[in-house]
Parts: sequence; structure tokens; C-alpha cells
Amino acid sequence: MGGELGSLVAAQLEAEPWVGSLVGIDVDPPRRRLRMAEFHLLQPSQRERIVDVVTKFNPHVVINISVWEPDARAPLDHARTFTADATTAIIGAAAECPALESMVVRSGLEVYGRGRGSLTRPTEDSPLRPTSEYGHMLANIERTAREVGRRVGISVGKLRLAPVLGKHVPSPLGRILRQPVVPFSALADAPFAVIEDGDAARAFVRAAAHRLDEPVNIVAPGAITALQAILRGKRIPLPLFGPEWWVAARLSHVLGAPIPDHVVELMHRGRLGDGNKARELLGFTPRLTTPEVVDHLFAWESVVRVGEVREVA
Amino acid sequence: MAQILEFPKSAVTRAGNVIAEPLRSLWPTHSVDDYGRDPHLIAALGPLARLRWDVSVGGTHHLPTRGGALLVCNARQWALSNLWVSWALSEAAGRPVRFVGRPDVAPLGAMMRRIGGLLDDPKEVEGALRNHQLVLVCAEPTSHPRHAGAVPHLLVGAAVVAGAPVFPVASMSSSLGRAARAEVGPQVRPRRKRRGPLAEVELAEQTQHHLQRILDGFGGMQSGVAPIDWLAEG
Repeated sequence: MGGELGSLVAAQLEAEPWVGSLVGIDVDPPRRRLRMAEFHLLQPSQRERIVDVVTKFNPHVVINISVWEPDARAPLDHARTFTADATTAIIGAAAECPALESMVVRSGLEVYGRGRGSLTRPTEDSPLRPTSEYGHMLANIERTAREVGRRVGISVGKLRLAPVLGKHVPSPLGRILRQPVVPFSALADAPFAVIEDGDAARAFVRAAAHRLDEPVNIVAPGAITALQAILRGKRIPLPLFGPEWWVAARLSHVLGAPIPDHVVELMHRGRLGDGNKARELLGFTPRLTTPEVVDHLFAWESVVRVGEVREVA
Repeated sequence: MAQILEFPKSAVTRAGNVIAEPLRSLWPTHSVDDYGRDPHLIAALGPLARLRWDVSVGGTHHLPTRGGALLVCNARQWALSNLWVSWALSEAAGRPVRFVGRPDVAPLGAMMRRIGGLLDDPKEVEGALRNHQLVLVCAEPTSHPRHAGAVPHLLVGAAVVAGAPVFPVASMSSSLGRAARAEVGPQVRPRRKRRGPLAEVELAEQTQHHLQRILDGFGGMQSGVAPIDWLAEG
């Protein structure tokens, strides 16, 4: 609930008529004014406390968004540990709640992997063959949730999000694209799709309301290639052919925009997904297309300067 | 005292504009579709393709104006039938026709994805058909231009599962000349209703027969009257 996506989901849940009370857990405080929600500032490693909070609340629905994308808010090692801890604690605690009916977990298109012969636009039935660290982390969340769902007998919805971009969402892809000089794969320049954070939050709310019990891709319509995104953002394109990616990634890391393996994979092999099932099952249609989300990415201010505060009384 | 060094953002943006502006004016920045096909690239390559093939297309009224359909064409070895037939049908039908058979290795695979290629995978074909796309697959290539090879039943199975109609597309091109022809036949309807995998096997065989029938109806690539025929005419 403390991250941008979590805050958005909480704010939208508060407006839902079927939501009676709401409890959130995160390592950061909420970024929005929440009227109804109760918030607990807890680290993923504080399992006992998390279990205590969740079981006392005894929810009907649990939404697990606590996923640390590598190099978004934490480097890979920390991201892996935080995500594993949070998954164990929250999904484990949810399983102890007698009132629980449904669980919705965050996953991503990265679970399909981009190995040789992987589908251009995977559907939810496509096999899960993650080829990046982040993909493995997400596949692990799905596996854990599925096993708990089977044991406890609840519905488990898995939202496989395209890379999430938003005004305040920490995203390695967004950060790279907003650099003045942006590398891209000259030999492939593969197409990818993204999703805006507001749309992703709406998908979580719909999935919870519908008690979703299967995986669903959440993808904005349309696609864009890295070169096209760079040109739209009026950045300087830097074509790379192969081995120099390693140098570019290190240099980018030093400049403050690390390029994790799943983003390199996206630039080389693309990342598309079939989002039709979300429309069929949840009646969910993203408001923004992929090119529009990318345009917004470049329109957002780097630094929001707050004017001088003056006392008026 | 510490000093904040600001990145020369405006200078870099100006440089970015100088570099990107000519590229932007040459190439639209929103041109790929949901499958990575780039109609602008295809339009740009069109004149090049027309240098090689002068395609006459027939029977496009059989194709659905919306909704997915599987098109099956015959192929002669090394004729690149899937490429020129899909492009010609796209132009004639006014809808993108994707072809099956792109490799998954850069840069060739990436390039073929941009011009409408899909992987040779039944799941990929099924996904495209469910998304109301026209997908062209090729029968086994043969050495004779007027022989239809076996139709891959696994790919036809994708159409059966997706509930998409199957249309034969007879194609003929010359190895040396520019003349080429693509004729879309009426929808192939299964003779018997099957619940299992026999449905796709039988539909694939039927499609091959339909293709052969259309090919038999074609004249040769070099039609006309041979000098010896004048003697027979008296």
C-alpha cells in the first residue's frame, strides 16, 4: 500500500461499494490520502507481525502487490530477498484466515520468458518458461499462491502485468527511456507493450471484485519499439549490436539507470502479451494505449518543484 | 561548499532533436501493431517487391471482411510464396495478412516480424486467429509449381480450435519472370463433423485437394499460342 501502485489500488478500493474495511502493509507509508484504510508499516522480514496483522483482520480478499522489480527500488539481491520474504509472509498469513475467499497476486509478462521459439504474443495458456531473474521471481509468487489456493480452497487470480509505467512508479525501463542517450538493439529493435499504473490498479480492483481464479494478462493495446519510443521522447538513440551492451549497461548503472536482465531481454526479444482475456473475464479495457503511456512517460516532469510556502494566517 | 552540478539537459535535448528529427520525419513513431508488424515498412518495401513480383490476385471476395481466417497456400521451393502472397492479399483485401514461418533469430527473425511474420507454432497461429487476424500458412513446398504439397494439420488444428474458417489460396510464380498469381478459393468446409483430432487431419487433406483443384484450373505461367499451334490452326 506504500508503493505507487499499492496506493492507487487502495484509493480505488476505498471507492468500491463492496469494500467494508481495508488494511494495508508496506515498507513505505501510503502516497495518497486514504480515508478508510488502516496502514501498518512493516518490513517483509517481520513475518510474525505480518501474520498477526493479517490474521487479526481476517480478510475476505487479499491482494498481494509486494513485488520488488530488480533495479526499480532495490538491486537484484535485495529485490529477490524482499519479494520472497513478502510472498511467504503475506500469502502464508492469508492461508491462516478462515474468512478468506479470494486472493489476487501480482505477476508479469516476464513469466513467459523470451527463449528461442517463445510466442510473439503469449496468451495465458502459454507455458511459463521465465528467462530472467524477475521472471523467476514472479513465477515463484504464482506457484506459491497456486499451492496455497489449492490447499485452502480459495480462488487465486494472477495478474500478469506488462511493464508498469507511471508518474511516480520506479521502473528501470522508464528510467532508461528517460535518459538523454538511450541504447537500443540495432539488430532486433523488438516491439513491446506496457501498462499505465492507473490502469494496472483498476485491473487489481476488478480482479478482486470478480474473485478472479485464473491468470490474466494486463496489457495496454498497441506496441512500440525502443527506437520508436526514443524518437517520440526526442532522446538520442544509441544503436548497439551485441557485446557493447555490457559496457552500456555498466555505464548506465553508474549514471543512475541500471539495466536489469529483463529489460535487456525486452529490448532484444520484445515483450508483448495477449490481453483479450482481461476484457472477457473482467470487462477491463486499459484507458491508455502503449504509445500513449510512453508519451506520458516523456511528458512527466523529472523534478516537481514546489513553490514557496507562505503562511496566510 | 558543495555545489550541485546540473546535467546540461537542454543541450542534450537540442542534440536529440537534431538527430531524431530527420528520423522522425522519415519514419512514423507509432507504426507497429500488436504483433510487431510495421505497415509503413511494408509500404516502403513495396516498390522493391513489385520489381520482383507482378501479382494478380483473384477471389478476395471469399475472404471475411472481419474476423479471423486461416489461409493455406501451396508453395514452390525457394519461391517465398508466403511472403508475396501475404503482401498481395493484404493489399487486395485491405486487411493485414500475417504469414507463418519466421525464424526466431535476429536479425532475420526480427526483420520478418516487422513485415508480418509469425512463428511456425500452432499456439501462435491460434492466438492470432482468436484475435481476428488473417493468417497465411504454406503447404509443404514442392518442386513442381502446379502441385500442392501436404497441408500441415497441426496449423489447421489451430483454426479448428479457434473456430476460424479455412480458405485455400492457390499461388503460382515464375522462377525467372515477374508474373505471379494468387487465387483465393471458397471456404473449405469439413465433410464430417469430428470431435477429436481427425477434424484437423481431414480438413488439412480437404484443403490440399481444393488447392490442387484450383491449381489444375490455372493455365501455365507462360500461356499463349506456341508457333507450332499456328500450323494446327491451318
